[in-house]
Amino acid sequence: MVDASDFPILSRKVNGKRLVYLDNAATTQKPQTVIDAMNQYYTNSNANVHRAVHTLAGEATDGYEACRTSLKSWFNAERVVMTSGTTEAINLVAHGWGRANLREGDAVVLTEMEHHSDIVPWQMLSKERGVELRYVPVLDDMTLDMEAYEASLPGAKLVCVVHTSNVLGVRNPVEHIIQQAHAAGARVLLDAAQGAPHTRIDVTELEVDFLAVSAHKMLGPTGIGCLTVKEDAFAEMAPFMGGGDMIDQVTVEGSTYQDNEHKFEAGTPRIAEAIGWKAAMDYLEGVDLDAEHHRLLNIARWTANALRELGCTVYGRHDDLDSAVVSFLHPDLHAEDMAHLLDAQGFAVRTGHHCAQPLLHRLGISSTVRASFYLYNTMEEAEGLVEALTTVLERFGGSA
Amino acid sequence: MISEALLEVIQELAEIEDRMERFEFIFDLADEVLELPVDDWTETNRVKGCQSQAHLEVRIENGHVHLRGGADARLVQGLMGLLALGMHDQPLEVAQAMTVDHIKEAGVLNSLTPSRSNGVRTMFDMVTTKLEAMSDGE
Repeated sequence: MVDASDFPILSRKVNGKRLVYLDNAATTQKPQTVIDAMNQYYTNSNANVHRAVHTLAGEATDGYEACRTSLKSWFNAERVVMTSGTTEAINLVAHGWGRANLREGDAVVLTEMEHHSDIVPWQMLSKERGVELRYVPVLDDMTLDMEAYEASLPGAKLVCVVHTSNVLGVRNPVEHIIQQAHAAGARVLLDAAQGAPHTRIDVTELEVDFLAVSAHKMLGPTGIGCLTVKEDAFAEMAPFMGGGDMIDQVTVEGSTYQDNEHKFEAGTPRIAEAIGWKAAMDYLEGVDLDAEHHRLLNIARWTANALRELGCTVYGRHDDLDSAVVSFLHPDLHAEDMAHLLDAQGFAVRTGHHCAQPLLHRLGISSTVRASFYLYNTMEEAEGLVEALTTVLERFGGSA
Repeated sequence: MISEALLEVIQELAEIEDRMERFEFIFDLADEVLELPVDDWTETNRVKGCQSQAHLEVRIENGHVHLRGGADARLVQGLMGLLALGMHDQPLEVAQAMTVDHIKEAGVLNSLTPSRSNGVRTMFDMVTTKLEAMSDGE
């Protein structure tokens, strides 16, 4: 595991107790190196990127583009478009690729497991263009119905699927999904907001057309993410946001656009955030993600079993490739009450529908409590959570 | 001037330092609100923006406010109890003297910003807006 002292926020107290941060599927904490990199940029190099020739602009441009270079290497990607996060990355596919390539009657395949970010943009496009949306159901074992998936492919132009569920931690069989989609002539968009922080994803090896990622879920700052795009898919995209930085020439008669990723990055980009994200990736380069995955999964499995012993229902299966997310409910205490009472003891967990209402509807529930573990979390913290929950149930369990 | 019952509870809460004890106290306040049976939970009385299911019904009868409520989260129900202590069976002007700061004084919520998803502020705003509309109509 990483050294928790690298993360200054983890030394603070919450409600008089030591903070135990278990809301990592929502956002992760930042190591000092990320904070320092962003401070350093604002303190010494702040300038706008690209067109200026002065020294500061050069440093800012180098810092910004170094992030893209790192991302290309990290994901083994041909093209990396910087976005505000996973949501904007998916919207970029919907607007930049979808509008240019989807016609009335074309089908887009989604799943019941998707985050709202990978549902709403497609519903909007469907309304605008008459595109048919097909949803792959989730089975009782909380995996995708792969037979239904295969049946949904004829006539599909795009498959949008979450790499790893933010509610269940279930890692989908994305290799098989991509292979089947390509065989049917459909492109594939992977929402890797939850997958990318836990495992190295090689988009070239996967042959995935689009991959959407957020920096803040992998130790980087909020407000930045990216879309990796395969070269041939990139050629099929048209810009949907116009403005500075994305143009080649502008005249009163019309404009021509840049050929590279800048075509999709209109306006002043998130420079400090890119520099922070690069520092986060440098930090992650020093982490054995495979070993961490096993360690965290063991913590999640232990937690899930301990919660079951306390009478909780746990939503998830914690198979070998799944992420360390434990979503649960207790029959005697509402999820929101439980989260407040855990917060009172220093434990930060998330409650609610986790922006996945169709999935929760499928599970027949409206919310869960979710504890999600990351690199700085320990088994002792999981034990502390179970102990805190035991106290909560003893004192408040009969209040429902 | 707020109701005496609310004043007393706020004073008691001020003396509780332990956060878990505060929750216990607030949870117990759930019994202070007249129950709005689940069958009477409608879209009109739903507190929008609440993560839990929360419904509040407010009426004015003979110049006095009548409040009934129900929620699946005990904390929300307890905060409804706090609202009831300040408003239920109180003259309109006493009920309207209660502000969202009195809920803040319960000290169990980290934020009562308008965008807070648990909707407690929405709950308070919903009641006060309805009271204003009803009092204008009288």
